[in-house]
Amino acid sequence: MSNDAPPNPSMQFQEWVTQWERAVDEFSNKVMGTDEFSRSINQMQGLQLEFQKNFGEMMARQLANLNMPSRDDVIKISEDLRALDRRLAHIERTLNQLVTRSDTGSPRKGPARTKKPPPQET
Amino acid sequence: MSEQTNQMRDLMDKTLQRGMKGFQFIRSGAAEVGLTPKELIFDGGTLKLYHYLPVNDEIYRIPVIIVMATTNKGFLFDLIPGQSMVEYLVNNGFDVYMIDWDPPLMQERGLRLADYTHRFLPRCIEEVQANTGEEDVNMISYCMGGVLALIYASTHTDGPLKNMVCLTTPVNWEEMGLFHLWSNEQHLDIDKLVDTLGIIPADFISSSFEMLRPAQKAAGQLRVWDQMWNDDFVKSYRAFQRWGDETLPLAGEYYRDCTRELMWGNKMFKGTLVINGEPADLANITIPMMAVMAEHDHIASYAATKPLLDLVGSEEKNELVLKGGHVSLIAGPNAIKRMWPQVNAWLGERSV
Repeated sequence: MSNDAPPNPSMQFQEWVTQWERAVDEFSNKVMGTDEFSRSINQMQGLQLEFQKNFGEMMARQLANLNMPSRDDVIKISEDLRALDRRLAHIERTLNQLVTRSDTGSPRKGPARTKKPPPQET
Repeated sequence: MSEQTNQMRDLMDKTLQRGMKGFQFIRSGAAEVGLTPKELIFDGGTLKLYHYLPVNDEIYRIPVIIVMATTNKGFLFDLIPGQSMVEYLVNNGFDVYMIDWDPPLMQERGLRLADYTHRFLPRCIEEVQANTGEEDVNMISYCMGGVLALIYASTHTDGPLKNMVCLTTPVNWEEMGLFHLWSNEQHLDIDKLVDTLGIIPADFISSSFEMLRPAQKAAGQLRVWDQMWNDDFVKSYRAFQRWGDETLPLAGEYYRDCTRELMWGNKMFKGTLVINGEPADLANITIPMMAVMAEHDHIASYAATKPLLDLVGSEEKNELVLKGGHVSLIAGPNAIKRMWPQVNAWLGERSV
């Protein structure tokens, strides 16, 4: 009579996923862990940056000719709005704090700061 | 009933549930995270300082500030109820604050490392002091947040910081593995990168993380499909997935400083780091320190985090090495069982 438990497909699947993940990561890390790979990705990144810069400048010129805002202009407006929003929220919070402090005195009340650590188990 | 019949029934049941719940999973929006009640007490542009509302009648005297890594959102510390270090600390009587980072605006691209360590951190500490009426503060910091906290501590030795817990904080940047190789000074044109982009995009940061473990995402998806019947697993997976998806962009000048001073110069390890004109030598730090590191950390490797306690000048030092990775260290099963209770005990004694 055999004592072997019947195979559990879920466990087998999980083990397979773990082994597959480990194998792919180990292989990729070997490939990507070379000086050659580092040089290649940085070269590619350099080219991409060059292209992005030139294309961005060209598009900005074209859009200016069409009397339309560029991406940078839109980002600037959006950021100005966010900055305004932050400042308004800051003013609102400061006013709320002033009102609270004038009502209760500063600093505000909370639970007593008297807690002691529980005795350590030996 | 035979074991085979039971197993077959279980398999059928899980397959059925997988189909039904898988459909819900696909339709579901972003996971709800960061649910521990909190209030915003300071908004400093690219940072927000939150105060988690105490739940006990009595709390420790010294408040604790969590300094999150600049690359990610702080809800890793408050993932979901039951899997939240913040919730655990609040329930154990700590008065918890968190410095959480927001994407920097293009107009903030000029923020430098010194802005984080000599402007943002001191300002947040002042806010906490005003909010609590207490002079002293403690800090728990994570990854790059730990680097910021260490620079702050080494340049403000007479300051209000009394105790530090550094979670998986890299100090020897030559041991940063593939990150170190990919940002090799011979190949990476950091000036071109920063001058062209201004802000280092979140995609750039997250794809660097993903390249370290290229199969991790696909394997995670296979695992969640297999475990689709398990609501707790799916809930936790979705929360972690959201956290990974919300990687933050970085201010270009800050990125340039980190690359030059830390990745290339390894100046924190060598003790030659100067920030804002002040030597940021870790030997200057004499306050009690606890360093927590993960044995299988693929981002801040064990070798990169290990030397911290040897470098600081503190007499009271405590090291905790856990099995697990960079993220599971904070919110994984080992964190819940071992890291949180040990931080609770160590910091609790030092928070009165």
